[in-house]
Amino acid sequence: MDETESDARAPAPPPAPEPVGRREFLANALRLGGGVLVFLSGAPALGEDHVAEGYDWTQHRYAYLIDTEKCIGCGSCVRACKAENGVPDGFFRTWVERYVVSPEASHVDSPKGGLDGFPPIQTPFTPTKSFFVPKMCNHCKETPCVQVCPVGASYRTQDGLVLVDAERCIGCGYCVQACPYGSRFLSPTTHTAEKCTWCYHRVTKGLKPACVEVCPTATRQFGDMRREDDPVRLAIAHGRVSVLQPHLLTEPQCFYLGLDKEVR
Amino acid sequence: MPEISGYAFPNDVHVHWSLMIVMYPYITGFVAGAFIVTALYHLFGKKEFEPVARLALATSFCFMAIATFPLNLHLGHAERAFNVVVTPHFSSAMAGFGLLYSGYFVILLLEVWFVYRREIIETARRSRGVKRAFYAALALGTYDTSPEALEVDHRAVKLLSAFGLPAACMLHGYVGFIFGGIKANPWWSTPLMPVIFLLSAAVSGIALLVLLYQVTAKLGRRPIERETVQAMARWLWFFLILTVTLELLEIVLLAYENSDAWHIISQLLTTRLEFSFISVQMIGGSLVPFILLAIVVTMNAYLHDRVRNTLASVASLLLLVQVFSMRWNVVIGGQLLSKSFRGLRSGYQPSLFGREGVIVAIALFVLPFVLLWVFDRVLPIERAAPPAEPSREPAAEPARRTA
Amino acid sequence: MESARHVFRVLFLLLVVVVIFSVGRTFLVPKSYGAYGPYRFDNVAEQAAVRPPQHGGSASCGACHAERLKAVTAGAHRKVGCEVCHAPLARHVRDGARSAPMPVDRSFTLCARCHRRIEGRPAAFPQIVLAQHQGGVEGTACIDCHEPHSPKL
Repeated sequence: MDETESDARAPAPPPAPEPVGRREFLANALRLGGGVLVFLSGAPALGEDHVAEGYDWTQHRYAYLIDTEKCIGCGSCVRACKAENGVPDGFFRTWVERYVVSPEASHVDSPKGGLDGFPPIQTPFTPTKSFFVPKMCNHCKETPCVQVCPVGASYRTQDGLVLVDAERCIGCGYCVQACPYGSRFLSPTTHTAEKCTWCYHRVTKGLKPACVEVCPTATRQFGDMRREDDPVRLAIAHGRVSVLQPHLLTEPQCFYLGLDKEVR
Repeated sequence: MPEISGYAFPNDVHVHWSLMIVMYPYITGFVAGAFIVTALYHLFGKKEFEPVARLALATSFCFMAIATFPLNLHLGHAERAFNVVVTPHFSSAMAGFGLLYSGYFVILLLEVWFVYRREIIETARRSRGVKRAFYAALALGTYDTSPEALEVDHRAVKLLSAFGLPAACMLHGYVGFIFGGIKANPWWSTPLMPVIFLLSAAVSGIALLVLLYQVTAKLGRRPIERETVQAMARWLWFFLILTVTLELLEIVLLAYENSDAWHIISQLLTTRLEFSFISVQMIGGSLVPFILLAIVVTMNAYLHDRVRNTLASVASLLLLVQVFSMRWNVVIGGQLLSKSFRGLRSGYQPSLFGREGVIVAIALFVLPFVLLWVFDRVLPIERAAPPAEPSREPAAEPARRTA
Repeated sequence: MESARHVFRVLFLLLVVVVIFSVGRTFLVPKSYGAYGPYRFDNVAEQAAVRPPQHGGSASCGACHAERLKAVTAGAHRKVGCEVCHAPLARHVRDGARSAPMPVDRSFTLCARCHRRIEGRPAAFPQIVLAQHQGGVEGTACIDCHEPHSPKL
């Protein structure tokens, strides 16, 4: 989690050069192979930083905060995501899980990803606690999905998102297999890998992702780590947050409050 | 919609890597396995393998020629397949594919060329017209068959075998790496995976050659050499023991370490993969051939040729099934368990028709044999006039066709 | 050397193939590939413009429905965005003008998504057990009695 700390350390001056850790160095060295090939093939002129009108991606580094104690399982986020992004039926860029737990047993469900909310449920055991956990792409820093993409169709942007270039994706599905969170799928319409983009078409216009926009209980929050006074930044910097499957060292950028041991 | 027992992540209910991704390692397994047989002759001087060396090389070549087919049939955008070599992203285990595949293919092409060069030239000299032009082109226009030139060929073949063996091993080990390197999937993520893939490739390659050798000998009315069958059976037995040991070790380790995924993997093995893993891969495909081959290996002196050939053939057939089921259990099995570690989806049934269906898979398996037949037409696998041997007792066992 | 001429020939052929491939490849690499890493940089801008935003947020609804928004923000549903119960703005407004009527869902199901007591919700969140609810019968619209924009508990 050293990277996380370096993010949270101090209100970094906007285009702060990141200290190069050993792992990063190795990764860069690995990437160099591809880079050299690209260079030899007539390196492309460095494009402008402009990814959208009036938007400089070096001025932002996004993070996501999910407070599981607030989630009521209404599924508004799942519906909003589908409407905003045209997510194909039966596939999910975000979904909500319900955990019903007793010291002896546990039950998890997510009917249609929570798209229509949750029905009442009877468990064979007497639950002692129960809660909802929204899930989505964690936009990991050390993401296994980008690592395994054979053609450079998956990548991580400078403002901290993991995106898929649907024009270069060959639809091999390796990234889908490599994501430990089940956040990716092969779209039945485009036959390419698809996933949550943190609504990049919204955040580059200063809007929040659709799921955050509609969340009625502020379970979902979206923030910018490059803004000193950002509430999400403050919560991650000062609060006790956890991430999903930390042992895999993927360094997720979705942080959770009140995560239970049952959640994977 | 597949049925789910327990809880699976909602995107985890699809088997994206279908029958074609089972076929791919199965086919490259033959490439590597058959090449190991050629190398045993060319590199390790195992004279018993002389009668199958050229057949093995041709088999390796023919399977290699179609090895990319199942991948392209599987890709969502096959027309972009070249992106893998245009903009390879080398942190991906898959990106090395272009290099490894073409590298090995070049080695194989060269080896075939050097092995057959003399015959190509002789055929060119003997023929006229189009046929002559074709063979002249194959000979690249040089007709040098002096003893020195042939000696160069001989050394080239040796050198190419020396590069080809590690290349073949890497080509197939890398297929295992693709699975072994996925830390998200506990059924795949083990450093044993490349080794298991490689060893089972050797098993499938030798098993296929045991059958092919006998079939081609029958078709060509040639005697089946006792030492060759015996030697192949012995190596087959050896590789089978190694493979199954590692396959079991992987599971025993998971169980013994009580890994976080063991409860779901044990469910996977005893419910969804009960038939394909326990019955087919372990009992019918490993235990039975192990016993059959043990008879061939340990009781060699007492066996009638016919019995030996039958035992070796049956064991080989079973092993072809074993290796297929192993590929199936890895590729499909890994997708039946959700990364939530809480749920399994119902078993996967490939469609009959369609791009990734059963019929295409069967066609893919038959195609290399058709290629082998074409290969034999162009570059005869058996030397034109083998020195007449005292005909041995005709081995009556009609070896089965595998395709 | 003389007897190895065919070896040089085949190696030369190989070299030709490699050169043709390497040269051919350069034409196939997209222009912006590698500008910031091993990916096509142009795609970032494409993603930013992949479609117009569908959800506008409650403030955008307030541009036309100021009174309604004021009522909502004063009541218990002040944190609930208009688009949660209605539909994304884009279904109703296009190019700044009304393009289609906003769907209004008066069903019990809509309210039940948040307020039916089920396993999983935080205990402090207002929830209804139908059997214990005055006059509550499944199928009756909650909004017959409750004002949806500013409900009283």
